[in-house]
Amino acid sequence: MAANTKVKKVFSEALGSSNPVFAQILGICSTLAVTNKLENTFVMTLGVLFTTSLSSFTLSLIRKWISPRIRMMVETLVIATFVILVDISLRAYMPEIWRQLGPYVGLIITNCIIMGRAEAFALNNPPALSLIDGFASGLGYTYVLLIIAFFRELLGSGTIWGITVFGGWWNNWAIMIMPPGAFFMLAIFIWIVKGLWLEKEGSR
Amino acid sequence: MSVMKDRIYPVVFMAVITAICIALVSGVFLSTQELVIRNETLYLKRAVLYAAGIKVPENGPEAARVFDERVREVKTQAEQKSAVPETLYYEIVSLGGSIDGYVIETYGPGLWGEIGAVIGFHPDLRTMMGIDFIKQNETPGLGARITESWFKEQFRGKTGPFVMVEEGRSSKPNEVDAITGATRTSAFVLKIINGGSLEVEGLIERGGPHGS
Repeated sequence: MAANTKVKKVFSEALGSSNPVFAQILGICSTLAVTNKLENTFVMTLGVLFTTSLSSFTLSLIRKWISPRIRMMVETLVIATFVILVDISLRAYMPEIWRQLGPYVGLIITNCIIMGRAEAFALNNPPALSLIDGFASGLGYTYVLLIIAFFRELLGSGTIWGITVFGGWWNNWAIMIMPPGAFFMLAIFIWIVKGLWLEKEGSR
Repeated sequence: MSVMKDRIYPVVFMAVITAICIALVSGVFLSTQELVIRNETLYLKRAVLYAAGIKVPENGPEAARVFDERVREVKTQAEQKSAVPETLYYEIVSLGGSIDGYVIETYGPGLWGEIGAVIGFHPDLRTMMGIDFIKQNETPGLGARITESWFKEQFRGKTGPFVMVEEGRSSKPNEVDAITGATRTSAFVLKIINGGSLEVEGLIERGGPHGS
């Protein structure tokens, strides 16, 4: 019962009021960099989901033996290990997508969400709950990125998942697939979400 | 005791964790290495076939077989015994045995990073058989559209040196469609292609006469 409410709280926070991307403004680097094609965004978010879940789980498992002085080194090491595993597996089993994502998979290591969850949650909570927390945060990141990527690809290339939806009459907004387009989309997204959703919840 | 706890324990702990992580990563790396190398070679073979205008089979082993049948790698003559011979260029042979053309692998600067291409030339060394890109870091959706087939296909049978015109406007044999919004990338690609035609002559000379 108590565990159940904890799990619910973890999810509602990660997906809503303290969503890593639009509430805490973490992980912005990859939010800006890999959201111009849905397919790439999807694989990227899978990589982040895998890494946040498993690194939170592992760190929570060994949390009692980590001396506070070296905790950040240990966190980085564990996170980096999982990210490299993702990178190697993509390279071996999905070479096409690995080629398209280029350096961004390796850059998951520097995604603040993962380190943030490890610091704020995994070091003080049991492994199972940390795994759920990591997964929930990854999910919070995933859906925001997919929404942004959906609009950027649609407006910038006239396609969704590589399939043309707008015909020849559509003039692609080239700016949407360039880095500035990401800033616009993210800002509009945060504006809408904070204005319509989070503020109402706060005033209640 | 406190020295033990404060200073030595973290070091030992870190060393153990590091060893475990390294073992894990190395294990996975080594177990997939063969697959990765196979992927890369196959990727290059497919690109060479595509640049030569030969239909590339979907199936991996089938593509490798077509490559072995139609392509001959010309390597540097080893001057020292220890030197590993490098591939200079690829000769495309027809089923009858005559030379259909030459494919080279060439690199040049792009907007964000190096662009690598394999370019095929007919025996006159001027007319293009085709092109494929094996390395690029151009802007996704803009410069990266050089890897789309409409851009690559337009070079087949055309003769350089090329000039760029607005997307969709090319009509003469030396005109190519640039990519709207990626003028710089298009210019870099043309430079690589125009340079490639000179490069292939040099490479064939270096390869020298060779039997087989």
